[in-house]
Amino acid sequence: MRETQLESKQSVQPMLEAEQSSQPRSQIGYYVTFALVLSMLGLLAWGLKKAQAGPVQNGLAPDFTLRGFDGRTATLSELRGQVVIINFWASWCPPCREEAAYLERTWRKYQDRGVVFIGVDYADTDKEALAYIAEFDITYLNGPDIGTRISQTYNIQGVPETFFVDKKGQLRGVHIGPLYPPQLDEKIDELLAESYPGVAHDR
Amino acid sequence: MIADFGLVTLLLAFMFSVYATFASLYGGWKDRPAWVESARNATLLVFPLLSGSVMIIVYSLYKMDFSLAYIADVSSRAMSPFLRVTALWGGQQGSVLFWSWIMAGFVALVLVRKWEGDRELMPYVIMVSMLTTAFFVGVVVFITNPFVRLWHYPGAAELTTALFQPAGAMPYTPDDGQGLNPLLRHFGMIGHPPTTYIGFTGFVIPYAFAMAALITGRSRGDEWMRTTRRWTLVAWIFLTVGLILGGRWAYDVLGWGGFWGWDPVENAMFMPWLTGTAFLHSVMMTEKRGMLKKWNMVLIILTYSLTIFGTFITRTGVISSVHAFAKSALGPAFFVFIGLTFLGSLSLLFSRWGTLKSEHQLQNFISREAAFVLQNMLFLAITFAVFWGTVFPLISELVTGTKITVGQPYFIKVTGPLFFVLVLLMGVAPLFAWRKQAARNLGRAILYPFIGSLAIAAGWGYLHRMHPASIPGLWLVSFVILAILTEYWKGVQARSSSRGENPFISLVKLFSRNQRRYGGYIIHLGVVMIALGIIGDGFFKQETQGTLAVGESLSIGDYSFRFEGLRGYPGSDGRDVVEAQLKLFKGNRFIRDLRPRRDFFIVQEQPVTVPGVYSTSGEDVYTLLLGWEGGSQDAATFRIYINPLINWVWAGGVALILGTLVAAWPAKKERQEVTYVLRPDVLRGVLAQPETGN
Repeated sequence: MRETQLESKQSVQPMLEAEQSSQPRSQIGYYVTFALVLSMLGLLAWGLKKAQAGPVQNGLAPDFTLRGFDGRTATLSELRGQVVIINFWASWCPPCREEAAYLERTWRKYQDRGVVFIGVDYADTDKEALAYIAEFDITYLNGPDIGTRISQTYNIQGVPETFFVDKKGQLRGVHIGPLYPPQLDEKIDELLAESYPGVAHDR
Repeated sequence: MIADFGLVTLLLAFMFSVYATFASLYGGWKDRPAWVESARNATLLVFPLLSGSVMIIVYSLYKMDFSLAYIADVSSRAMSPFLRVTALWGGQQGSVLFWSWIMAGFVALVLVRKWEGDRELMPYVIMVSMLTTAFFVGVVVFITNPFVRLWHYPGAAELTTALFQPAGAMPYTPDDGQGLNPLLRHFGMIGHPPTTYIGFTGFVIPYAFAMAALITGRSRGDEWMRTTRRWTLVAWIFLTVGLILGGRWAYDVLGWGGFWGWDPVENAMFMPWLTGTAFLHSVMMTEKRGMLKKWNMVLIILTYSLTIFGTFITRTGVISSVHAFAKSALGPAFFVFIGLTFLGSLSLLFSRWGTLKSEHQLQNFISREAAFVLQNMLFLAITFAVFWGTVFPLISELVTGTKITVGQPYFIKVTGPLFFVLVLLMGVAPLFAWRKQAARNLGRAILYPFIGSLAIAAGWGYLHRMHPASIPGLWLVSFVILAILTEYWKGVQARSSSRGENPFISLVKLFSRNQRRYGGYIIHLGVVMIALGIIGDGFFKQETQGTLAVGESLSIGDYSFRFEGLRGYPGSDGRDVVEAQLKLFKGNRFIRDLRPRRDFFIVQEQPVTVPGVYSTSGEDVYTLLLGWEGGSQDAATFRIYINPLINWVWAGGVALILGTLVAAWPAKKERQEVTYVLRPDVLRGVLAQPETGN
């Protein structure tokens, strides 16, 4: 390795000068780098805080559009004035089966009273999902969560998980695990009783 | 209560690693060799102590001691003893313990080596590496302790976990454990975590040396890089193998016919690989030309920080909540550690920035030096693109309130062209001369590979004319392969003509005379092979899906499949298996039976799809059993993929391992190189001589 032993043409003196003169310039780089690193750390801290917080429970419900297995679509932000029940499920999830019939029954009871059910099928295969829907004769909108985007937005902890959205589009709580009668009826009644400007109060 | 011994050795390991951190710092700072020696001894004890803890967990897994919460969580009676032992890294508690253990092993190994010229670095190498080890062992002790037991309060519906008996609670031992997540019961997932952990932790060695060089002010020299070159290579190859095994696992188990999904967890592992690869190349420049010293420091700091960052986002669910381990103290602990690592090493780097001056200037843009600079930039650009795509959901949520995942198209569009240039550079850069490349010589050197590759790409492209986008990729692959083979050929030619050897002997001698160079070329060939696999996956993949009654057929490409029926039977490890029988034909010729399965793990209530695969060097026929009709079982639905060229990915992986072995194998020649003494700083500038060529 002869070349490493060869001398550079520069002597000590100019090198030192060069270092000193480069100091102010690298100061800016120094601050910029630290600012970048700190903002990245800030971002991580914020993400961590959110991840630790568990599912989102209040505030404006994150918007999404779901394309159903049957081709129907629904966009959450277009459902203002109605109570929306968002249920995350999967065909491979045994506890989901426990609540499936109750969900469908409740949907049929409330469907003409300003309530929308949205079933978000989490990490599933279409074939099994369709068999599950047929098995429980589910008639409300159900569609696959492609890329698990919706589940990520809602930060779900598992399935089944159900989110309740009021007429103003605000999240009004989440239920982790299967729903049993009369939990869902009670929640829907509570949210339906609230008034929404511009829409006649449901009597 | 043998498990209690494991807890004791764990606590001792924690205390010794904390002690070693402070003793080495004090000894190095105040120049007290006795303290450094004491720190070294403490460090050497940490590994055997942690080995004790690891062995006791392994023993408890083997003996199925379900009174330990971890054992009850990841193992079960239905699992084979081998599988139970691998459950050491099947859950978080075991993984972090295993991780700390490997790291302590690396540090112990580096301390028992001979310390000669670089003895001055030792206190700080111990300090940095033991600080890290102490952090991980501390996490094991205080946050995810695998020795936590199960307890039951009389009348309570749920079990409590605690290290020691809470007042009023009774010890509780379940009859059986939950068992390992079925998706993890695959050789890829059994091999993937240990190799990845070895890769991740291995980078602590070059990092600790780099930090020690900065602290002592010896960063002007490059001993630390020489000392750690082989360690870096070891870490790098394990990380590489970990990536490939992870891909293989995804391909075999996740059942979507692909091997890489740009998932945050995959990206987390890929980013340190990218910067680590850049680092491996960049240090060569310092060794040969005394340039890029700042780059090396930046790259090793990035690589190390990214390994910690990767662990952080995988384990805390910051980005993808699907893998979340929410509400654990692990997240904040890791966060603080990442912050300290990043800010600490950057401050150190800036304080020594002036010592990292290049000994030479870049003289020409067509030179090997320029190629190295360019490759560093490309690697960094790709890392940044991957990083951006990985944290983008977080950024978008912060800015717009909506979490937007960028998905595969982003990664392919952004990194694709960068990878193209990088692979091209990989082909031509070895042909560049140091300092300055005469354009005419370069033209002569690449002429034949270039013409050859054009011919191959034209022919190949004609065969695939329905996929015009693939042609540049095919050209690139052929060109780089030819360029590398030309390099071998030139070497053999030179030897056999000057010494009259037979070409085969020349080839062998070529390897032994310059292992690093020719081993490196094997690695490059491996990379091209993987690139070929990715081109196949990206452009030529075919898929179809259909429901077949018994006796019916489905066809795709040249192949057809006849469904012969379903068969159900109880499998090993607590699963029910439903297996489909397919007869595979190519044209009219029967090839073989394929048996795609659906395994249902009873305890976990989780199905796992096991593909039936017919594999040739040219392509994989990959069949999945998606489902079947209710009780009668006389019709079933299949998805079928033809994955051309995919096996080049795995073959490329083998080439990478082989090349690394050649490059890193200790040899006589190299020992001479290591004993080389650096010119003392005093002489710098005094012997101002004009440079001569290499």
